[in-house]
Amino acid sequence: MHGDTIVALSTPPGSSGIAVIRISGPDAIGILDTMAPGARAWKPRTLHNRVLRDTGGEMLDDVVAAVFHGPNSYTGEDAAEISCHGSMQIVSAIIEESIGVGARLAEPGEFTRRAYLSGKLDLAQAEAVADLIASETRLQSQVALEHLGGGLSKRITAIEERLRAKLALVEASIDFSEEDIEAYTMADLVAVSDETRREISELLESEVAGGKLRHGMRITITGPRNAGKSSLYNALLGEERAIVSPLPGTTRDVLRERIHIGGFTYYLEDTAGLAEAGCEIESEGMRRGREAASAADLILFVVDAGEGWTCGALEELESHADRNRLLVVNKTDLVPGGGEAAAGSPAGELRTVTVSAVSGEGLGRLREKIFEFTANGEVSGVSRERIALNIRQGMALRRAEEALERLGRELGMNSPAEILSLEIREALDACGEVTGRSAAEDILEEIFSNFCIGK
Amino acid sequence: MKHDVIVVGGGHAGCEAALACARMGVETLLVTISRGDIARMPCNPAIGGLAKGQLVREVDALGGEMGLCIDRAGIQFRMLNRAKGPAVWSPRAQADKAVYHEGMMSAIEAEKNLELLEGEITGLAMAGGVVTGVMSAEYGELQAKKVILALGTFPNGLMHIGEKQIPGGREGEPPSCGLSDRLSEAGIERERLKTGTPPRLVKGSIDFSRCEVQHGDEEPSPFSFRTGRLVVEQVPCHITWTGEKTHAIINANIHRAPLFSGQIKGAGPRYCPSIEDKVVRFSEKPRHQIFLEPEGRDSEEIYVNGLSTSLPADVQLEMVRSVPGLEGAEIARYGYAIEYDFFPPHQIHSTLESRKIAGLYFAGQVNGTSGYEEAAAQGLVAGINAALALHGRTPFVLGRSEAYIGVLIDDLVTKEIREPYRMFTSRAEYRLSLRQDNADERLLGYAVRFGLLPRGQWEGMIGARKSVQRARRRLEAENVAVADAGKMRAARLLQRPGVSLEDVERLLPDGPLALGKRERESLEIYVKYRGYIRRQNRTAEKFKRMERRRIPDDFPYVEIDALSAEAREMLGKFRPETLGKAARLAGVRNSDVSVLMVFLEKAGAWRDGDDG
Ligand SMILES: Cc1cc2nc3c(=O)[nH]c(=O)nc-3n(C[C@H](O)[C@H](O)[C@H](O)COP(=O)(O)OP(=O)(O)OC[C@H]3O[C@@H](n4cnc5c(N)ncnc54)[C@H](O)[C@@H]3O)c2cc1C
Ligand SMILES: Nc1nc2c(ncn2[C@@H]2O[C@H](COP(=O)(O)OP(=O)(O)OP(=O)(O)O)[C@@H](O)[C@H]2O)c(=O)[nH]1
Ligand SMILES: [Mg+2]
Repeated sequence: MHGDTIVALSTPPGSSGIAVIRISGPDAIGILDTMAPGARAWKPRTLHNRVLRDTGGEMLDDVVAAVFHGPNSYTGEDAAEISCHGSMQIVSAIIEESIGVGARLAEPGEFTRRAYLSGKLDLAQAEAVADLIASETRLQSQVALEHLGGGLSKRITAIEERLRAKLALVEASIDFSEEDIEAYTMADLVAVSDETRREISELLESEVAGGKLRHGMRITITGPRNAGKSSLYNALLGEERAIVSPLPGTTRDVLRERIHIGGFTYYLEDTAGLAEAGCEIESEGMRRGREAASAADLILFVVDAGEGWTCGALEELESHADRNRLLVVNKTDLVPGGGEAAAGSPAGELRTVTVSAVSGEGLGRLREKIFEFTANGEVSGVSRERIALNIRQGMALRRAEEALERLGRELGMNSPAEILSLEIREALDACGEVTGRSAAEDILEEIFSNFCIGK
Repeated sequence: MKHDVIVVGGGHAGCEAALACARMGVETLLVTISRGDIARMPCNPAIGGLAKGQLVREVDALGGEMGLCIDRAGIQFRMLNRAKGPAVWSPRAQADKAVYHEGMMSAIEAEKNLELLEGEITGLAMAGGVVTGVMSAEYGELQAKKVILALGTFPNGLMHIGEKQIPGGREGEPPSCGLSDRLSEAGIERERLKTGTPPRLVKGSIDFSRCEVQHGDEEPSPFSFRTGRLVVEQVPCHITWTGEKTHAIINANIHRAPLFSGQIKGAGPRYCPSIEDKVVRFSEKPRHQIFLEPEGRDSEEIYVNGLSTSLPADVQLEMVRSVPGLEGAEIARYGYAIEYDFFPPHQIHSTLESRKIAGLYFAGQVNGTSGYEEAAAQGLVAGINAALALHGRTPFVLGRSEAYIGVLIDDLVTKEIREPYRMFTSRAEYRLSLRQDNADERLLGYAVRFGLLPRGQWEGMIGARKSVQRARRRLEAENVAVADAGKMRAARLLQRPGVSLEDVERLLPDGPLALGKRERESLEIYVKYRGYIRRQNRTAEKFKRMERRRIPDDFPYVEIDALSAEAREMLGKFRPETLGKAARLAGVRNSDVSVLMVFLEKAGAWRDGDDG
């Protein structure tokens, strides 16, 4: 089964900001060679300091790498290990480059499975390997699910639905050509194909390639009105980006800026303060805020130390119970130590931070916590999966884009239905890799429920 | 009396099974209730059609009889989907039912290892989980080493016409009850399905002048690779439509329809619904198409394709007469629905042999399929495997990439059957390669190896194939001069849209290709599709390597906690033979496959199979 070479981020980046990428399989060393052009020969099991470059010659990172010849490696195959700087961009870029030159993204637990299958681990460990695969898969789907709660999933699902409806028409024209049913028109397919391709290109630009996934995790600030969210936002950014005022309900829209903590890039978001009721604009602002929070990698829930945990605040907090979050008790310059609000925090000490957005007290500790709970601490598996997800999605969407390009060409040549189907299926298949649905399976279902079939 | 193989049921599955066994040199007995049943068509007077036509071509390339029979019995031939690309062309023919039956009958009578017996089989003879024969009402125990069951819609068949319920295998025939019950007692699970058929009209009572005419192809293409040119005087079909009046009649009587009154419990095919179903589910459709098809060249009966129904007799008549052209129609035989037992095919191997009872094979409708062609294909496979097993040879399992037959059987052993299963081209992920024109190239080798065809027949077929290959090599090797591109490979030029083989042939430096019509067509299709086929295979081949990884039949799925619960259940139920099949089960995810690989390694179970 081990014909191919796999790559994955093996250890999540440590607090020093170093990440380890592993490559294993027959081409592992060749792939490393390609990325470190002109380098001297590798001495097995020895650390080398090298510069990695992409095929265009752009520098990827300055890394420390080592090669291992099978069977003297963890997996028993030829393998390479790259320690690079721990930023998401760098890690993604190196992994994508190695995929570009012949590796494949590893499946959950695949490194361990290979190690096991090549006899490096003893038989009694099968159980453990299987459990590892299962738990990594759970982690993977958890990350996918969280991520797909957001706009990307909605948009791809819409694309899928549109393509599936057209595929059903095309397939029905083949399998039920004797029946009196609606036919597809070339013009209609051209329109759908163009529109969909444009949309996917846009998604690739904004969401995947240049967007939030590539460039960092999302941190959303939320909490009651006037708690000082915008003040905290400005303090973390180091500039007066958001309007601050003593009037409740100042912030309406979601604001988003990039910040760096410990070598990592984050998107920090400020949102409208929460209240029981509001005018139409305020309600819309709160809705947007809640939506942003529901897609965040980390929520900073801010309360005013003087106000404490009101019923409204607790209820709101409850709605994010299952999320990765930190509670921030603000305005310690007015209530030293955060008082009651800090002592009675519903999240416990580990996830509670007291700060003053005005004096700057506690901001250092807040930054450390943010780093700990996104890059390093209990969510580290999540960040590793996130990089993998990002790469997988990017590749899948590019595949969909290419299939639609070909579809456009075939339509231009008036190609027959079974060729059009080939391309639509491939595009759907690729989208399915993002949403986890198997696309072509239920085409017959779609046909039976939409058309009156049967002589 | 002792035979190597007993085939029970002389329908489309049973006939092919018996012929295949006999041709492979094993002593075969075909038992069927009545000689008149042999290859009877209880529904459409037609063979082939979309995806089914490809099945017939495959059956033919494997030495089956169906193609030859329909070439003789056909009274109208059409290549469907001509307007689409050649990958999805499908031959279809209207059949003279009586001639079809006679053709199959003489093939059976001509086979020297094959004996035909009239009688009803009521039970199995078994010893220690292995079948040893069958029990017959008339002859007592009949012994055999292998038994193939091809019982069609007979097991506990129950027919419905309105409120009337009549036990029967099909119109005018009794059901087979004992056998199904004995199988159930032996631990074979059974479930119910439903199908139906429209009324037949008296030809002379129809006003065809009010209908559209549908003719056959000007140049009919035969089904069999062994048929030369078809010379046949073709008979037209006619088209008419239901209308609001028809639908009003149906709606007014819908409470009397067994389908809606709760009288029918088995699930029917959604691709072949009754007219009452169509009118209810698609109430916005103002009319439904009806094809009037002759049951034979000289038959006085007309099959009303599109009007399948189990409404009461009086409603059927009123309904028929509301259709233009049928105002004065007389019903010769009423439409009916039939419910019957089938034996869900997660209980069989890909060889169609039972998992539970060794030496027992299931083929055709009993596996939950519907259709003459699906039945014939399974009969052939069951017959071949029974004979191979007797000879101690490797089983015959076609991959999904090799044949529609492979897709059909793979689907049966990996999918839940919730309605009668029929073939569609969209079920085949290798559709572009599984064409009617190249069935011989794909399958002839097996027929030769198994001895299913006499040398005299396959030599000609192989000769034709070789000439296609030679011509293909010439196109790939010879350069032609093209106005806009200088010199280029002939094959490349032919790949251009709008360029035909004739165009290219004129430019060939070494002169024209000496090829017959059918071979020319096949060559042109091959070259035009080459690029697409390569791409199709790349996407479809994700699991192909796993197809060779075999899983032991007794693999202990329940003990593996790391499998998802859903996967564990499906794997335990279907007991897939290969990792590829496991991966295709609903509810089995990539990670489950990874987990399986780990444990298969532990069990030392990696073995290379010859599937796929
Ligand atoms: C009313 C009706 C409507 C149908 N409608 C459609 C349709 O719309 N579309 C479609 O594709 N297909 C339809 N079919 C199905 C099609 O006829 C079958 O799929 C096909 O004939 C199945 O072939 P088979 O060989 O499995 O069984 P059959 O052709 O049914 O043959 C079974 C044979 O087994 C014999 N037999 C049964 N039990 C015993 C026994 N105990 N002992 C001895 N002999 C036995 C019978 O006499 C019979 O000859 C319909 C069938 C019926 C009856
Ligand atoms: N003393 C003190 N005042 C603060 C602190 N943080 C915010 N404030 C004040 O609290 C008031 C509200 O601050 P904002 O940052 O606008 O609060 P907000 O949570 O963004 O409010 P909305 O956007 O209206 O929901 C302003 O007058 C701030 O100056 C702090 O740490 N200490
Ligand atoms: Mg604000």
